[in-house]
Amino acid sequence: MNTAATDPLAELLQSAAAMQESGRSVLRTLVGMGDVEVGTSARHCVYSEDKIRLYRYSPLARSANLKPVLICYAMVNRPYLLDLQPDRSFIRELLLSGLDVYLLDWGYPDGADRFLGLAAYIDGYLRRCVEFVLDEQALDSLTLLGVCQGGTMSLCYAALHPTQIAQLITMVTPVDFKTPENLLSKWAQHIDIALLTQSGNVSGDFLNLVYLSLMPFRLTQQKYVNLLQLQGDRVQLENFMRMEKWIFDSPDQPAAAFREFIQWFFQENRLVRDELTLAGRPVHLKNLTAPVLNIFASKDHLVPPSASIPLGAYIGSKDYESLEVDAGHIGLYVGGKTRKSVPAAVVAWLQARRKS
Amino acid sequence: MSAQGPFSSSQPDSAGFLKAWMDQAGAFQDMFARLADQSAAAMPASMFPPLLAPWKDFVERMGMGGFDPAQMLPGAPALGLSREYQETAARLLDLGQQFQKRYAEFAQQNAAIMQDAFQVMKKRLNAAPPPPKSPAELYDAWIDCAEGAYHQAAHSDSFARLLAELCNISSAFKVERGKLTEQIARHLDLPSRAEVDTLHRQVHALTTALRAAAAARPAPGPASRPVSRAANKAPRKPRKRAKK
Repeated sequence: MNTAATDPLAELLQSAAAMQESGRSVLRTLVGMGDVEVGTSARHCVYSEDKIRLYRYSPLARSANLKPVLICYAMVNRPYLLDLQPDRSFIRELLLSGLDVYLLDWGYPDGADRFLGLAAYIDGYLRRCVEFVLDEQALDSLTLLGVCQGGTMSLCYAALHPTQIAQLITMVTPVDFKTPENLLSKWAQHIDIALLTQSGNVSGDFLNLVYLSLMPFRLTQQKYVNLLQLQGDRVQLENFMRMEKWIFDSPDQPAAAFREFIQWFFQENRLVRDELTLAGRPVHLKNLTAPVLNIFASKDHLVPPSASIPLGAYIGSKDYESLEVDAGHIGLYVGGKTRKSVPAAVVAWLQARRKS
Repeated sequence: MSAQGPFSSSQPDSAGFLKAWMDQAGAFQDMFARLADQSAAAMPASMFPPLLAPWKDFVERMGMGGFDPAQMLPGAPALGLSREYQETAARLLDLGQQFQKRYAEFAQQNAAIMQDAFQVMKKRLNAAPPPPKSPAELYDAWIDCAEGAYHQAAHSDSFARLLAELCNISSAFKVERGKLTEQIARHLDLPSRAEVDTLHRQVHALTTALRAAAAARPAPGPASRPVSRAANKAPRKPRKRAKK
């Protein structure tokens, strides 16, 4: 009789020994791995100003004859999440569908940018990038695709310049910043944001600490323990390392813009209260009349669905559609099922708008 | 009234007073000599302990028994040449103490969360036999319990307030530290943060003015449009070369 198969303690010990061996294998693979590559689709810089860069991606398929798509990513992370590797690339999927894709990269702000407020970013840099694309393509309007904080910025822009936006796509975008599920918002309410930004830019490390604190046990422990299950699988470990690089590659936040974002959006919820003013002009979401596709993730711990879902109630557009994706904030772009289904949904939605 | 309070003890004897004075002066002299010496070995780890002991002895000889300058520092008015530094130092000290106090509360709160997590884990293991079959399964169950307990606490107002207080104290500390750095930069004739900030503001204002002036200029006619615009045309897919 095989006692090891029925004795729970023996099973546990056997399992522990297997994990130990797996750990060794993972370490061996990691040590020999070297640097990982990110952002692999071909692109070139078409416009630059200070720290920001506007990239245009090289086409990968016959043109779908749709309006060019300008992606406005968040300032708090690097945009290469959207083009992490060839088989995990939201941008590549759009290119394969024949879209003309531009990406606004905010760069790494430093001390020279500490006094730049949101108006400088939204009605300055973003506006000039939009105008560049429109000028380059001899068009009156384009498709703006905003991601996370970049989605909020895109909403503001579209409300300020509605005629330039043919379609707006928001992805995991906070709109109502004061819903009960929003832990970041709860924590932000009592922060003295003027004091925090008085001594300059807010470091990316500080923001990472905050993000890790949202789910500390999963993000600082379990994630690494689970590595053992990969058993030295080089491809899987490379995927892991790419994501790890992206997560901690966080730019510092320009003090003034960060202060305004926390105060105006998180603490005062001005966007949905219709009290936001940028560059001396009111930002009325009702001015936004272009078709809107609002994509949110049901397991998002950073931007809970309740923060994104209300968008339809605040905008002036009669063509509003929302898409709930069974994923987390990041998994939406790189998850096994969603990395193809989400860009496909975006393209289908755009094509349907062209027909109408 | 207590006879142990400052300035209230028995008359100081002149010989003791003189010795304390000489000791204190000697300590300062030694400090100045060390400052003049460029070698790193000459400097003590901290400047204050060698100065503090003779000074404490001196004030005690003056009949101020029981007086502790370190304890008096936070509330005492700053005097003399170094008053600005003293004030900054006092604020830093105060903020450091505030942070320690709040951090102790934070640690206590975290300990309570862990306790809750253990309780939930215990219940889960008792309620749902059979027990986890592998260490990984057991570990995952623990993480679920820990995150559950943390989630509940982290959403509370008390947690948010404590976290904010820690953040606000750290921010205030950083501001005070910045003031000291500014003073040091000025002494070393290095550009201070304030100077750099002024320059940034000026550059920003100039850029804005330049952009406004450029926008106000009449648009160039078609003939004068820059020809280099063609360079910005859509990148083309690489074409296969035709066979000859």
